[in-house]
Amino acid sequence: MAEKKFTGPAVEVNKVSFNYDKLKALDELSLQVPTGISFGLLGPNGAGKTTLIRVLVGLLSPKTGSVQILGQKPSRKSAHLIGYMPQLHSIYSELSVRQNVDFFARVYLLSDKQERAKRVEETIRLVGLWERRDDAVLKLSGGMKQRVSLACAIVHNPPLLFLDEPTVGLDPELRVSFWEHFTGLTRQGVTIIISSHTMDDAAHCNRLAFMRDGKVIAQGSPDELQEAVGKPLATLGDAFLYFIHRKEGASA
Amino acid sequence: MPSQALNIAGRVFKQITRDHRTMALILMVPLVVMTLIGLSFPKNTVLDGIAPGLLATLALFFSFLLTGISFLRERSQGTMERLMASPVSRPDIVIGYLLGFFIFALTQTLIIVLFTVYVLGVNYHGDLWQIFVFQIVIITGAVNLGIFISTFARNEFQMVQFIPLIIVPQIFLSGVLWPVEQMPKYLQWVSAILPLRYAVDGLKQIMLQGKSLLDVGLDLLVLVAFAAIVSILAALTLRRGAAG
Repeated sequence: MAEKKFTGPAVEVNKVSFNYDKLKALDELSLQVPTGISFGLLGPNGAGKTTLIRVLVGLLSPKTGSVQILGQKPSRKSAHLIGYMPQLHSIYSELSVRQNVDFFARVYLLSDKQERAKRVEETIRLVGLWERRDDAVLKLSGGMKQRVSLACAIVHNPPLLFLDEPTVGLDPELRVSFWEHFTGLTRQGVTIIISSHTMDDAAHCNRLAFMRDGKVIAQGSPDELQEAVGKPLATLGDAFLYFIHRKEGASA
Repeated sequence: MPSQALNIAGRVFKQITRDHRTMALILMVPLVVMTLIGLSFPKNTVLDGIAPGLLATLALFFSFLLTGISFLRERSQGTMERLMASPVSRPDIVIGYLLGFFIFALTQTLIIVLFTVYVLGVNYHGDLWQIFVFQIVIITGAVNLGIFISTFARNEFQMVQFIPLIIVPQIFLSGVLWPVEQMPKYLQWVSAILPLRYAVDGLKQIMLQGKSLLDVGLDLLVLVAFAAIVSILAALTLRRGAAG
């Protein structure tokens, strides 16, 4: 795994704010993500999850505050360290599965032809699409397109992965299969940042940040967050509501 | 040549050629348009006179449209966002798309020129290869213009709205329909900043007066400068933050 020896936090966000015109999308948000874990950004639509991911991958520049990924400022120079799976499928529908994955392998500078072909095959097999490798993406189902999109994000073996709502629209079986991939990757030392608004995804993450109105309202492992509610058998959904009410109580 | 630019150009080429309907349209539309134009001008002498303006305008129009819409799709599908978060540089992206789209713009232009000369039987002076070279410079600028302008559109509908804004005024003010010298002074000043004016002027001199590329060096220079400026602007507007 490239750049695996980095020992500091995989992601450090320090008091980051970002506005879309007058709309405050991120409000002095801070968080830290240790390396080699799956970290969930949980929150309703409009909480700022996608904006935070776009700041972390360098597509947006924060208005205030600072961001570091694997000890570097997000830029074109550090872009090879990350894999990014945007919310849309973001793949070329006329091209085949293999052509898509191969294109992104080249984009991420895998220049040795044999090594690239091997890595492309491994990745397509990993997402279970080898049988469909020469089919045009437009002929695939929504779930298969998601898998191609994931393959394009991981083909260069990045040590840090940003997945923006990767399980949206997937059936339960595929969702389980995606999480098997993610868990496998974290075992290899990859850090994964996942945004989601479903508590099903949240339960799979090693650590979580509950987000609302551009802020992190609570952070911790799923168990820690559930225990904070103080009720037996509290779910992560209960925990999310608990922290929202607590925050509203504090600001009232 | 940067390898990433070639990677992108190769991908654009594969993408368009795998879409058979798009390929058929790219090849058929210039043929249909030129056939209709040929049928609507019963007297060849009239067609001879307007052929340079027609060739320049169609090269600009087809190349701008093809590139503008295709490039916009990259952004609306989210693929551009993915590319902008990768190590690929902005110049590589612009050059890559330029090369990728250029092949198809060139194909359409070749069809238009060859059809005009060999099927419609337009009489011309000058060398055919010099007409091609001149057309290549025009489409290079038009492809870059399509990339640049598409960064201002959020969807295909908005992109199509740029056609009357960018292309139509040039048709009226660049000497395609009547000579620039016969227009009011202020319109002549406006005309001076339109690339199509130099394209029409150069092609008229080559095709109607038999002049060489050297004779129309100033027109060529303006068109090359236009292509260079628009490609720099396209790279600048492709900010990492403007991917969406």
